[in-house]
Amino acid sequence: MFKYVVRRLLYTIPILFGVTLLTFLLFHIAGGDPAAQAAGKHASAEEIALLKAQLGLDRPLHQQYFFYLQQIATFDFGRSWATKQNISSMFKAGLGPTLSLTLPAFFLAVLITISLALILAHLRGSWVDRLSLVLCLAMMSISFLVYILAGQYFLAYQFSLFPISGWDPDPILRWTYLALPILIAVVVSIGPDTLFFRTVFLDEISQDYVRTARAKGLAEGRILFKHVLRNALIPIITIVVIRMPFLVMGSLLLEAFFGIPGLGGIMFQAIQNSDFPVIKAMTFIGALLYMFFQLFSDILYAAVDPKIQLR
Amino acid sequence: MIFCRRLLTFALGLSFVFGHLSCTRRVSDQDGTINTVVSANIKGLDPIFSSDVYTNAVVAQIYEPLLTYHYLKRPLTLQPLLAAEMPKVSEDGLTHTFKIKKGIQFQDNPAFPGGKGRELVAEDFIYSWKRLADPRNQSDGFWVFDGRIKGLNEWREAVLKEEADYDTPIAGLVAKDPYTLEIQLTRPYYQLHYVLAMTYTAPVPREAVERYKEEFINNPVGTGPYRFDSWVRNSRVTLVKNPNWREEFYPSEGEPEDRARGLLEDAGQALPFAERIVFHEIIEDQPRWLNFMRGNLDFVDIPKDNFESAVVGDSLSPQLAEKGIFLQVSTEPDVTYTAFNMKDPILGQNVNLRKAISLAYDTETLIERFYNGRAIVAHSPIPPGVDGYDPGFRNPYKEYNLEKAKEYLAKAGFPEGQGLPELEFSTISSPTARQMAEYFQQNMAQLGIRVRISSSSWPQFTNKIREGQAQIYGIAWLGDYPDAENFLQLLYGGNVSPGPNGSNFQNEEFDRLYERASRLPAGPERTRLYQQMRDIVVAQAPWVPGAHRQSYYVAHGWLKNFKRNSMIQDYFKYLRVDPKKRAELKAKL
Repeated sequence: MFKYVVRRLLYTIPILFGVTLLTFLLFHIAGGDPAAQAAGKHASAEEIALLKAQLGLDRPLHQQYFFYLQQIATFDFGRSWATKQNISSMFKAGLGPTLSLTLPAFFLAVLITISLALILAHLRGSWVDRLSLVLCLAMMSISFLVYILAGQYFLAYQFSLFPISGWDPDPILRWTYLALPILIAVVVSIGPDTLFFRTVFLDEISQDYVRTARAKGLAEGRILFKHVLRNALIPIITIVVIRMPFLVMGSLLLEAFFGIPGLGGIMFQAIQNSDFPVIKAMTFIGALLYMFFQLFSDILYAAVDPKIQLR
Repeated sequence: MIFCRRLLTFALGLSFVFGHLSCTRRVSDQDGTINTVVSANIKGLDPIFSSDVYTNAVVAQIYEPLLTYHYLKRPLTLQPLLAAEMPKVSEDGLTHTFKIKKGIQFQDNPAFPGGKGRELVAEDFIYSWKRLADPRNQSDGFWVFDGRIKGLNEWREAVLKEEADYDTPIAGLVAKDPYTLEIQLTRPYYQLHYVLAMTYTAPVPREAVERYKEEFINNPVGTGPYRFDSWVRNSRVTLVKNPNWREEFYPSEGEPEDRARGLLEDAGQALPFAERIVFHEIIEDQPRWLNFMRGNLDFVDIPKDNFESAVVGDSLSPQLAEKGIFLQVSTEPDVTYTAFNMKDPILGQNVNLRKAISLAYDTETLIERFYNGRAIVAHSPIPPGVDGYDPGFRNPYKEYNLEKAKEYLAKAGFPEGQGLPELEFSTISSPTARQMAEYFQQNMAQLGIRVRISSSSWPQFTNKIREGQAQIYGIAWLGDYPDAENFLQLLYGGNVSPGPNGSNFQNEEFDRLYERASRLPAGPERTRLYQQMRDIVVAQAPWVPGAHRQSYYVAHGWLKNFKRNSMIQDYFKYLRVDPKKRAELKAKL
């Protein structure tokens, strides 16, 4: 297992190298002229050229890329070209709000949808199951934006159950503002996730070992929670762990509508402004997290399924 | 039934918990706090980086330049702010002498000995303007002085070569004494007074810049009526009244109708009124509007999607009026336009083709469809409220006239559009911009002109214009100051791509007039030159002028002295909230 982890960690180096190279090239092809952006609407050709030189954008591409690698190695991404703010500070300021929103929403959604899926799998073929399927499909068909607009208008404005938008850095008071976006994030995931987990559980329920357990007279609850759930963990882990990096990268729409000062908004602004230092930092961190969680899911596979050995 | 009851109890419980918590946060309801909104994130709090209007909305309350605009008078009139009086200008227009008010204090800050702010002196302006010019700071505001002040550009170059520093004197910036600042120009530049009303030119204390270095952007120290209190990044900035601010009073004169509108009730009262201003950063329209309707914001620009429910005809809807809300309309000093790239071999050489396109473009319908009617048709680059604007002027190629357009198209050598290759219209990839491009495409199709739309991100779009690659494109310009020069420079030959003249229009006569006008003070002669330039632009049609947009603001009845104009940025000191009335009106919301 140790050797496997070390090998996987070594694999991340060329992958990260590839991600950084791709980001770098894409930005230089499609990112516009950041110096012209930063120089402002009145800038003359000379001013743009001067700024280009100061930002290092007049250097050969390989030198610019090498500088990017240097920043990665030192974890010092410098300052944003658009806001002049320290990127590490921007990241630190945005991480807390993002995780406050995404983590509870994610775990609540997983808990609720797995429970619902187990119940539906148990009730398969009944009218409850059929009605739930229709409801889940209907929920999936509605755009995320509609949930946000309707939730904010009715629950926050019309019924005054929640604040309309805002944020409080206080670790307790922030939940006032987070409650509604978390609720919406959970509701949005009910449709697709319940359907997915239900399918996973139905696959397991049709296995021979379930029939044997039933023949032995085991209680249905015990079969579902002890055996089916455990054996269905591999696909569940896959979908759950793959989503984890996105928890860090934030939920742009929820952040924008509910005024949560998270990382999603920072990334969006950076793209809008051709703010390459921020884009570089966020892309790199995103890729790193993605690979970390991939490795984490592989380790979890081995933990939950004794047939899997990490070599 | 039991379930319903439980649900109701749960809902009431939620409402109590969250409602109660949010009320405890809103202590501001009890005092005269102003709750305002910016629709983009604030970038930082340094005047040399105050180019975007949202950031400037905050920075302009903390920092003050030499001059400002009178709050109530229209057209906009400059008046002294940190200056003791309007500057004395030498006969040749090259020397501008400012007397600075005595006793102006910088806000208290640990950067000063004992934490007590010191007095502002003339040297602070020189230091601050060097800072604006310093290329290492990468400010996008240097254009205000670029090539204008004797020795400043040379100092800038020397700094780059490390041959000069902040102690190196500049010939054109001299502190005659602590309260007298003399500015010597390279050539007459009467717009200098306007740029000295811009936040870029506000003085900063050297001690604070040197103490905080790059973090000065988050530790502002100005002379303004409000000082920085806190910033929850990307959420809200709070400013509090500066206890050391000098004595200044609410104006006692304005436009004739200002008295009837209650805008002179506070005449002669000491400023500022509000103890605290909270700038909420709310990017999306719906939460901004709902927060206003709940009374969490004191005023707001009506979002496009809420316009029809808020405004009926030209008045506020009765439902909003009942709640004590009032409406204020302000025509912005801006112009939207469709530009032709004059370097393009098809469009650049064919004035009749450009005129045909102009005649076939139905701007009135565009205004109805895309701006909810919140704009007036632009007949030239010069917007209302700006010297050189003539409300009676009509551009003969701006009337929507398909027959005439077809005649011009035939004169251009493309009858019914035959023989004319497909043209490319560049725009940004937002849904509205795309729809506007499609509207242009449909208008041209009526004339037999085929148009291909090219959408890209804002950086790519501006890059395309700067590189002279955009054949036709739609864009807007919001004025920096109320002078036609700021709009006509978009067509000056010296500013062609990658400068702000993205249409690459070059006309010797226009350039000659522009250069002559730029050496003249405001007056009939300069206005005449502006109008001659306008006529050249109309005759040559490098643009199809679009619209001058209007802002429709709604404010709650508890907000007093509200009179918006986007050029006036330091207006929060004039605003007053009546907490008693707020409590009363909020109950109706």
